Amino acid sequence: MRRVVDARGSFCPGPLTELIKAYKSAEAGDEIELLATDPGAKSDVSAWAKKSGNEVLEIKDEQGYFRIVVKVVRKGR
Amino acid sequence: MTPKRIAVVGGGTGGTLLANKAVSLLRSEVSSGRVEVHLFADSSEHVFSPGNIDIAFRGAEPSSFRRPERNLLDRRVLLHERAVERVNLEERAVYVDSERLNYDYLVIATGSVARPDAISGLKETSYNFHTGQEDARRTWEALQRFNGGRVLVLTNIPHKCPPSPVEAAFLVEELMRKRGIRERVEVLFATPYARAYPAAAIAEVVEPLMEERGIRLYTMFNTDYVDPKERKVYSLEGEEIGFDLLITVPPHRGADVVFKSEIGDEEGWVAADKETLRHPKFDDVYVVGDATNIPISKSGVVAHLEAIVAAENIAADYLGTGKVYCYTGRINCPLELGGSRAVFVAATYERPPSRQRPSLMKYLMKRAFPAVYWEMLRGRVDPVFDLYLGKPYKVKGVGGA
Ligand SMILES: Cc1cc2nc3c(=O)[nH]c(=O)nc-3n(C[C@H](O)[C@H](O)[C@H](O)COP(=O)(O)OP(=O)(O)OC[C@H]3O[C@@H](n4cnc5c(N)ncnc54)[C@H](O)[C@@H]3O)c2cc1C
Repeated sequence: MRRVVDARGSFCPGPLTELIKAYKSAEAGDEIELLATDPGAKSDVSAWAKKSGNEVLEIKDEQGYFRIVVKVVRKGR
Repeated sequence: MTPKRIAVVGGGTGGTLLANKAVSLLRSEVSSGRVEVHLFADSSEHVFSPGNIDIAFRGAEPSSFRRPERNLLDRRVLLHERAVERVNLEERAVYVDSERLNYDYLVIATGSVARPDAISGLKETSYNFHTGQEDARRTWEALQRFNGGRVLVLTNIPHKCPPSPVEAAFLVEELMRKRGIRERVEVLFATPYARAYPAAAIAEVVEPLMEERGIRLYTMFNTDYVDPKERKVYSLEGEEIGFDLLITVPPHRGADVVFKSEIGDEEGWVAADKETLRHPKFDDVYVVGDATNIPISKSGVVAHLEAIVAAENIAADYLGTGKVYCYTGRINCPLELGGSRAVFVAATYERPPSRQRPSLMKYLMKRAFPAVYWEMLRGRVDPVFDLYLGKPYKVKGVGGA
């Protein structure tokens, strides 16, 4: 399943909050498509995915925002 | 003729201002009885929640941050000191004590609730200052009893007031120095974000100060569960941290009434357009403050500004002016850094927060805020802020841009 999370315009608390919310209710194998305008989003999401053992499938510059697709590989315990 | 009814659910920061503002924008309609503004509040007392910081970390007296709700309202607001059981958006009705009140406009301003019970082991092992004044007081008492060891300030998302966890860490550290036991205390700060504060420009200020004060930082730590026996917190990312004293900002959820009425998402946030604050499916329903699903900080400033915008939109709709008020996403949250210094996290939907130098002036502004708050609920202070910061909305439609 792919879920689109629109976090455009969010700088505080920012896109990672929205991504993690979607992640908590996702199943392994799901994809989360995050839309963001926060310049920190690309590096934050990549760092978080690396640490949490999930996978960034795509980072794309759209007009005025980024599209970041994360595949949920691993979930907690 | 039956009057048009505006029903506001929730007498907190957003709901109180909204009710007052609706009365002032529709003054002659309300005076002549053509419009009624009903406010439902589940408590007769209004609590200034930011005061919880002073209660938990400075031992302040809780009663100084409470006022009777009635005294904060225009006398023409019809206050019902009762909890709404559920709302039915299709029927355009609010249910209270099994009675039904039909509305023409509904405003959901039911806020957010800190839920330490949402994470296994968290409630029984932690102290927090987001579940109310009593728990804030208990946090203060626990900090007074603490005689050395490891204090962990643990952030969970989503939560209201983004600065509050960082403030807690700085103030705990400061308190331990004041108590003269700093050398026996380790202060740890864990956050789900990639840095100490979600906005990069603010983290650049916070992180060096944490290092300077010896506060150890753990990033990208999303609590999975707490083991009460081991006194350890485990993260979804696979890390663990042990503690002697756990102070947490619990994850938040929407109000009970949102779940009962089945009008929110899985965490209980109600959908709203981020500019007009209108519900996407019901054009007579507005949502303001912490209750919304808008990806913006859950803060008093946002609740306040959204209440202004929603009240303007309701008045414009009722009067048929054709104007639509659009919130700019302005935020302006004080963040205290210990040592009598603070910064303000200021942004809009289009402009990220910029870097700032911590100052005594900003700290003094923050400390003066409780006195101003009660006046703000009447909408009396906004002209001053507008002078410095501009209007929190853009106007579209007739006569607008
Ligand atoms: C420790 C702390 C520090 C903070 N510091 C700051 C700060 O410095 N700056 C800032 O801007 N914000 C700060 N905040 C956040 C701020 O207090 C909230 O974001 C703000 O109060 C949200 O306003 P609201 O109207 O959406 O919700 P609230 O003010 O929480 O009001 C919601 C009200 O609705 C009531 N309610 C719920 N369900 C029902 C029902 N069924 N029937 C009737 N009533 C109901 C609730 O009891 C509550 O009174 C802080 C919060 C905390 C806890």
